[in-house]
Amino acid sequence: MKMFSVSHKTVFVVDHCPYMAESSRQQVECDVLTKSRGQGVIPLAPVSKSLWTCAVECSMEYCRILYDVYPLHKLINYIVSDSEFHILNSWRQEDQSTHELMSALAAVGPPNPREDPECCSILHGLVAAVESLCKITELQHERRTTLMDTAERVANRGRIICLTNAKSDTHVRMLEDCIQETILEQNKLAAGSDRLMAIQQCDLVLIHIHPQGDDALVSDRPKKEISPLLTSEVHSVRAGRHLATKLNILVQQHFDLASTTITNIPMKEEQHANTSANYDVELLHHRDAHLEFFKSGDLHMAGTSTRENGLKETITLKWCTPRTNSIELHYCTGAYRISPTDVNSRPSSCLTNFLLNGRSVLLEQPRKSGSKVISHMLSSHGGEIFLHVLNSNRSTLEDPPSISEGCGGRVTDYRITDFGEFMRENRLMPVSESSHDPSGKLPVERAKGQLERHTRYWPMIISQTTIFNMQAVVPLANLIVKETLSEEDVLTCQKTVYNLVDMERKNDPLPISTVGSRGKGPKRDEQYRIMWNELETLVKTHAGATDRHQRVLDCIIACRSKPPEEEERKKRGRKREEREDKTEKNGSKDTDDKSWQESERLKGLLDKEEQESEVIKDSPDSPEPLNKKPRLCTEEVQPPERAKGPVSLLTMWSNRITVANSRKHQEFVGRVSSVNNKFELYQQLKDENGMDVHENGKASR
Amino acid sequence: MPTVVLMDVSLSMTRPVSLDGSEEFQRKNLAVHGLNMLFEHMASNYRMEFTALMAFSSLWELLVPFTRDYNALQEALGNLEDYDKTCVESALNGVSNVVQQEWGSACPCQVVLVTDGSLGIGKGSLRHSLHTLKHHGDDKKFPLPFPFPTKLFIMSVANAEELQMTDAMDNLEELLRLSGGDGQIFTMEGPLCMKNVQAMFGRLIDHAYSPFHAVLHCGNLSSDVQVFPRPEPIVMDEEVEPMPRSVNTDLEIVGFIEIADISSPPVISRHLVLPINVNKEVDEVGTGATDELEEEPSASQMAGKSPNFCVLLHGSLKVEGMVALVQLGPEWYGMLYSQADSKKKSNLMMSLFEPGPDPLPWLGKITHLGPISEAAENPYGEDDSKSPFPLQPPVKRSYAQNVTVWIKASGLQTDVQKILRNARKLPDKTQTFYKELNRLRKAALAFGFWELLKGMADLLERECTLLPDSAHPDAAFQLSHAAQQLKLASTGDSQYAAFDHNIAPMHTDFSS
Repeated sequence: MKMFSVSHKTVFVVDHCPYMAESSRQQVECDVLTKSRGQGVIPLAPVSKSLWTCAVECSMEYCRILYDVYPLHKLINYIVSDSEFHILNSWRQEDQSTHELMSALAAVGPPNPREDPECCSILHGLVAAVESLCKITELQHERRTTLMDTAERVANRGRIICLTNAKSDTHVRMLEDCIQETILEQNKLAAGSDRLMAIQQCDLVLIHIHPQGDDALVSDRPKKEISPLLTSEVHSVRAGRHLATKLNILVQQHFDLASTTITNIPMKEEQHANTSANYDVELLHHRDAHLEFFKSGDLHMAGTSTRENGLKETITLKWCTPRTNSIELHYCTGAYRISPTDVNSRPSSCLTNFLLNGRSVLLEQPRKSGSKVISHMLSSHGGEIFLHVLNSNRSTLEDPPSISEGCGGRVTDYRITDFGEFMRENRLMPVSESSHDPSGKLPVERAKGQLERHTRYWPMIISQTTIFNMQAVVPLANLIVKETLSEEDVLTCQKTVYNLVDMERKNDPLPISTVGSRGKGPKRDEQYRIMWNELETLVKTHAGATDRHQRVLDCIIACRSKPPEEEERKKRGRKREEREDKTEKNGSKDTDDKSWQESERLKGLLDKEEQESEVIKDSPDSPEPLNKKPRLCTEEVQPPERAKGPVSLLTMWSNRITVANSRKHQEFVGRVSSVNNKFELYQQLKDENGMDVHENGKASR
Repeated sequence: MPTVVLMDVSLSMTRPVSLDGSEEFQRKNLAVHGLNMLFEHMASNYRMEFTALMAFSSLWELLVPFTRDYNALQEALGNLEDYDKTCVESALNGVSNVVQQEWGSACPCQVVLVTDGSLGIGKGSLRHSLHTLKHHGDDKKFPLPFPFPTKLFIMSVANAEELQMTDAMDNLEELLRLSGGDGQIFTMEGPLCMKNVQAMFGRLIDHAYSPFHAVLHCGNLSSDVQVFPRPEPIVMDEEVEPMPRSVNTDLEIVGFIEIADISSPPVISRHLVLPINVNKEVDEVGTGATDELEEEPSASQMAGKSPNFCVLLHGSLKVEGMVALVQLGPEWYGMLYSQADSKKKSNLMMSLFEPGPDPLPWLGKITHLGPISEAAENPYGEDDSKSPFPLQPPVKRSYAQNVTVWIKASGLQTDVQKILRNARKLPDKTQTFYKELNRLRKAALAFGFWELLKGMADLLERECTLLPDSAHPDAAFQLSHAAQQLKLASTGDSQYAAFDHNIAPMHTDFSS
């Protein structure tokens, strides 16, 4: 269906003249007495609906089905006509609901039988209907605005459904002529207005309602063209059930609907709760849900039945008792909203409630051969029930090469779990259209932005990465990808870096892959060098984002070059390797380090800031010249610290933590007397060897 | 999209082609040469396509049923025999049967009709078929248009001038129009020779059988892929947007959604997403499946060993039970997911949603899906126990909101009886009694059914007189109060008949 077909706009014009107050002469027995209470009670006389009541309830049923199946873009304008016209709602989307219309109808009330019939006419309403069709809808306006220079592609068509009691065929012709004239007049007006559009096509559906038992004064007439702008059809119907059936057929014709009957629905009996009987429920939906049947010519073969007056067909599909709620992605070629034909009957509401509670039901297509073919599925999404069409044909994509046989298929150490975690973090959520983001970007663009940030450095296989295999890096890796960092985030990142520094000092092993290399893989300090490089690569890709990101990078660059003992140790270590002096690594290191430790001690361990400046002095030793620039940056960020000289965040942070911690407990002897967090164990052994190690401990002071 | 090759094997195809060289060719030889070239191309670049070969003259025969075995197709081409006259209509009926039997009536199909443009004489000729089109009975309809979406390619082993000398070209054009207009007529350019027939089939290949290559992006991660079958351009509303929309060659992942949340969405087509190695000359598709030879470390094996994003994505989608939402173009989206063909084999698949800003009502507008990191609280919950989907529509559907319909008498009777049942259980059921009463009152007012209000009031008054002596005194008060209120409403007096007004229980105090 085209977006702006005739069914985009429907105007109901309902006659509210005095004769509509007449009884339909179809009586409803509403006082159904039970046997036990029957004695001595006079039952209430049956009530009968007026022609007006019949017209209103049947038109409301038309609207109910329409709104169920098309909640958007199929609009109704409801007009009531007596001595003047009353427009009950507008084309606006918020006015499109049965509740709105019922409320407005209640305000109008039934026709007043005492009103002067001479002043009343359906014409008032019909003229208003044509005027209303010229009014632009929200969707027309929106599309015209977006199409700009091709705005003329937005068509203006509509349908008028007139429920009235006409006097004769001549009367009907008079009404048609009047509508034709009004269209021409209104189109002239519309040409000069922005908010009006000329009518290109108007379908008039005139329904003549007469009471039961009366002869119809108006004859049925199939659709005919009155002019290129106007077609007209006439239906002469008895009020009551016949009118309801007629409008039900019309809503199906007007909106391309079709009917499906779900059969074999097991339902508990009201009276006997432990037995169940099978029920049928009829649903209406877009007819494309039956496309496959129509095309294959299976329509008559597959359980169709023609009912009542031969105008209505339904396709029968069999209920398949659902299995446990398995989450599965069905290959579904269409999903269409449904509306039950008999919405408040017990079988209908049992079925709809079952579905609304989140269960899905597969439907089976009855076939003569007896083979079982699941062709449809009923399922609700957010309080709306859809009939899904499942593909039951052979797939053209069967037996494809497995992904493991193609590019990258032989690689076995993909970071599947990590990418799974990545996907969870990059799940989507609906963002309300009213919420405004300061960046001015649409939510989906922000989602893409997040994906971009999260993948700036993302090695795909385990053997390509060290840092993502380390639990210790997780806090930093999670934070650095954020668009903005809080002060606290920066601290956490720095903490992570210090933790790594600590690991390096402790010479903790790293989860470096040994795949592809022979022997034990790279040396430990080489491992750390690889790790630091990788970490720096990760953080560098984000450093440009904000100053805080840059500070994290600064921290890494600063830390990996310090404390100098590490660098020295490495250098010496390498030298030692050259000398092939591989034994007594710790011992020799210890003695080598002593001179530095001594000088350090002289400068005083208590004043950590002093120590920091010492570190700066040492920094030229480190090979990376990068060191200097970030330092400056840090200073710029923290001008208050300038007076005291260059102070890194490490110092500030560790000072704070140390102070805080020291209040809480008595410090370990080893830590108190440590140098650079190192305390030599088994000192007494050295004492025995006559070596002086007291300088290592505070206690010796 | 499966292909049916419909080969004309009538006598006219054996007409010799005048050549300067020593060897003499028939038109059939040229056609077979062209088809061989097509099959070779498909075998290496379009391997996943199912192709069937049919031969026709006055009768038709399915020589090779739908297969991916292009050797079998080529072999069958080598064994073609010559028959009598051309009868296109019966052959098309054959195509219709063969396709529907195999794929049903929804699967789009390509039909390659190879003929020499001599379309038969007398009854059964295409001219005759087209002339008598209108006189066909309902039971013997002309086979076009096919029930399934069709692309019809007519390969004529004749040049355009030759076809235009007779009405052959007009008839072929009419045939194309009848099939729905999607397709093309290819004719030979220049003299009939091997080179020119190659050129003609080359044009067909470029037009319909060139593989669709794209780059799949997820932020900075990416992979070169072939999308099979080729996503075809589509027109959504020829009036508002007559230009067909095509899938971008950059497919951009926008985020991820749980399978349960996307819940079997309707799709317009499904495609395999096969990672490819663009550095190579020959495309990778399908070689893994069939090349079990592995003589030397081929380029495909090398490609197998370097990590590919598609494989990573596929693995994680499979393990996590999620789909990736992918943007295909402006306001056009699809999803990527793992599809298992059997227990061992699974693949990365892409399904295309209908173009538009909100293809799935339960997800809302795709442009308004944002990263969960922006939410104050993870909408999925810390333990994935919740979900922000599905989206609730602003207005409930009729079946979800207890609407009142009295079109059938039983509907009205049920509502009246419900009120009476509750009336007898007053004052215990006061709340339900008034709820049902107000529901009836609202509907009666909207439908202008004041007679019912009066009738209901009478019924309540009668219930009042029938109350047993043991009844609570409040019951009588509530019943007469309700009856009185209904009567007032039935006068249409705006003070009592307002739609939004509700009859409230009478305030009584029997506690003392």
